[in-house]
Amino acid sequence: MTTTVPGTKAAFAADYDAPIPYMQRTRDYYQVLGFRPYRWAHFADVPFTPLRVPLARARVTLITTAAPFQPGVGDQGPGAAYNAAAKFYQVYSTSTETVPDLKISHVGYDRLHTTAADLNTYLPLGQLQAAAAAGRIGALGPRLHGAPTNRSHRVTMETDVPELVRRCREDGADAAVLVPS
Amino acid sequence: MSLAARHLEENGISTVIMGCAKDIVELCGVPRFLFSDFPLGNSAGRPFDVESQRLTLELALRVLESAPAARTTVQSPLRWSEDARWKCDYLDLTTLSPDKIAERRKEFDEVKSIARAKREAS
Repeated sequence: MTTTVPGTKAAFAADYDAPIPYMQRTRDYYQVLGFRPYRWAHFADVPFTPLRVPLARARVTLITTAAPFQPGVGDQGPGAAYNAAAKFYQVYSTSTETVPDLKISHVGYDRLHTTAADLNTYLPLGQLQAAAAAGRIGALGPRLHGAPTNRSHRVTMETDVPELVRRCREDGADAAVLVPS
Repeated sequence: MSLAARHLEENGISTVIMGCAKDIVELCGVPRFLFSDFPLGNSAGRPFDVESQRLTLELALRVLESAPAARTTVQSPLRWSEDARWKCDYLDLTTLSPDKIAERRKEFDEVKSIARAKREAS
C-alpha cells in the first residue's frame, strides 16, 4: 500500500512498511504479560578490522545460532512451536563438508509468516560452498560453529564468545559470516 | 551474535552479520551488517528460492570486503512480499484478549522452566 505525495506524482510507502521495531514490540508485549523488560546489548564503540587479504584468498568461517537436532526432545521440524528443550548451551562445531541437521525451533523466529522448512534460509552453507568452488572466497573453514542463544550476556561474553574466537583461530579464519536465526 | 562479531573483530577476524532484526543489531553496534527485511528466520534468503539465497550471500560478501568503517549496514533490495502488512503481526498486542494474555504468560513460564532445567543439566 502506498500514499500519494500531495502535489507530486511520487508515492510514499505505507507507514508500517519499515523495518520492524523488534525491541519496542518485545518490550510492550512482555510488559503486558507482566514480565521485566529485557535489556539488549548496547555499545557506543564498535571495533573494525579491515579484511587482511583479498576475499578470493580469505578463509571464511560460518557461525550460526541454529541447533543440532536432538532426538527425544520434541518437534523441531518446520513450523514447530517454540521448543526450549531443543536449546543448546555450549559452543559446538561440525564439518562443512556435509550438510548438518540443524534446526531453529529453539528461537523466536516468525512462525506466522515462515516455517523454517528450508535450511538454506538460515544457514548459507550451500551458498558458501558454491562461493568457495567459484573462487569468490579463498576457502570455507573446515567447520561451522554454533553459538548458543543464551539470555545471559555474561555467559555469552565470558564463555561462549571467547570459545568461538578460539575455534575460528584454530581454523585459520580470516573472516566470519555470522547468521542469527 | 552481535557480541561474537565484535569480539572476533577485536581479535583480528573480519566479520559480517546476515540478519533480519535491524534495530537489535544496530543498537549493539557491529562492524558490518547485511539486513534483509524478511520475517525472522530468513537471514540467508527466501525459502526454496536459490537465487535469493545466492544474492543475499553475495551482498554479505560485498559488505565484508568493502565496508569503509564500522556500523556499515546494507539493506538487501529483496522484498518478502508486495504487501508489507506481515510486519504488523509480530507480537501484535491488539489481537490478545485477557484470556489469551493469561495463557501466553503461563506458556512463557513453562518455557522458562524448561530452558532453566536444560541449562542446569548441560
